[in-house]
Amino acid sequence: MDARKRFARLIMVAEMQGRDLLRRRLALILLIVLPLAFYAALTTSDRHQAVIPGGIAIAFAVGGASIFSVLSSRQADQRLVLAGFGPWELVAGRLMFLEVLGLPVAGASAAVMAAVSSPEHPWMLGLAVWLVAFIAVPFGLTIGTLVPQELEATLVLIGVVGIQLSLSGNAVVARVLPFWGARRLIDVALGGSFSIPRLILACMAYAALLFALSLILMTGRLRVRRPVPMPGVPWGSA
Amino acid sequence: MSASPPPLIRAHAISKWFGHKAVLERASLSVAAGETVALVGENGAGKTTLLRVSAGLIESDRGEVSAAGRIGYCPQEPGVLDLLTADEHLAFFGTGMDIPRPRALREGRALLEEFGFPLDERTVARDLSGGTRQKLNLALALLGDPPILLLDEPYQGFDLGTYVNFWDHVDRWRGRGKAIVIVTHMLAELSRVDRVIELKVHPSRAVQPHGTGGG
Repeated sequence: MDARKRFARLIMVAEMQGRDLLRRRLALILLIVLPLAFYAALTTSDRHQAVIPGGIAIAFAVGGASIFSVLSSRQADQRLVLAGFGPWELVAGRLMFLEVLGLPVAGASAAVMAAVSSPEHPWMLGLAVWLVAFIAVPFGLTIGTLVPQELEATLVLIGVVGIQLSLSGNAVVARVLPFWGARRLIDVALGGSFSIPRLILACMAYAALLFALSLILMTGRLRVRRPVPMPGVPWGSA
Repeated sequence: MSASPPPLIRAHAISKWFGHKAVLERASLSVAAGETVALVGENGAGKTTLLRVSAGLIESDRGEVSAAGRIGYCPQEPGVLDLLTADEHLAFFGTGMDIPRPRALREGRALLEEFGFPLDERTVARDLSGGTRQKLNLALALLGDPPILLLDEPYQGFDLGTYVNFWDHVDRWRGRGKAIVIVTHMLAELSRVDRVIELKVHPSRAVQPHGTGGG
């Protein structure tokens, strides 16, 4: 199959994921409002430091949307694979749409936080918040594939992001969690001094790792055992 | 006397356990072109499992499935996406089969029209009635004109007219040379199929032992 055709198939998955999510109007509103509500509540105690939980809270919204993209299509996914889609095409197509969706969500949150909290480096805050959204997509896809029940999957998301939020960036446990690099970049935005390329690399590596994991899990879950082709019958191969 | 036509799909000596629970033991199924087979049996006899193994959706512990063409599979529970319309389903599934969107819509709508699906509606699947959603479910199985149809109680929720119409369609598909397997509890319609395969509940799970499962 040529690359153009392959890309058109990914676009179809992304398009249908988009149509599905854009019809969930309340969920869309919550996507924007939830992280900002989190941030707004914390500005009352420390307007400056509130950008840390406010930025990480993007992971609740974007990660949640990613989890539900997997769980809401669970019944149809195997049929789609039977129809000819590769499991990787379903994961990659969804990833495409959700990463695009993460841009305005992260952009809106970063703009509000930059305006209210006046961090030292607003552009760095924008980058950090976008990286949280960027990692939250494959993170949500992985949870949705690994934990196929809505309640349990949501609890895992709340648990991991909650632990990340409650730990300081220096804690050993914080370093192995997905949003550590982005959290440190928020520290940089507030005037901290850390190696920016190293942190960006850590974020990208974590996102790549989670994407690979979601791909492996999805491929295993949606594997179709094609029947052995029957020779000599004029219908072509199975 | 002419030789019987070769099978288009053959599931041979299929055994399947779910944990310690034996569901199928050496069950077999073979359907030729232009043949309709009804798969019957009590609840828990393994009809859906045999169909899902034949479609390739679950792996058997023993046995082999061979087929001579693409399989159109219609699950008992509509495997559709709640917030997509019928047209969007047709375009989506059609792309999986490498059918261009205009053709998938044209052929899919023709199928839906045959089943009396309200084509003018732009309702998402979640808001369709059970029977209407099932029509979409069935049309998706038929999209791309697969030579083999595995239909798991495909008429659930159909009104009487659509139900009768469904069996007329089965006759037409058979006439066009398709190999059709229908899981059914509607024993009154068994006169309309060529063969009936009865599966029995595995003896290890039966209340009263009555023979081994298998077709």
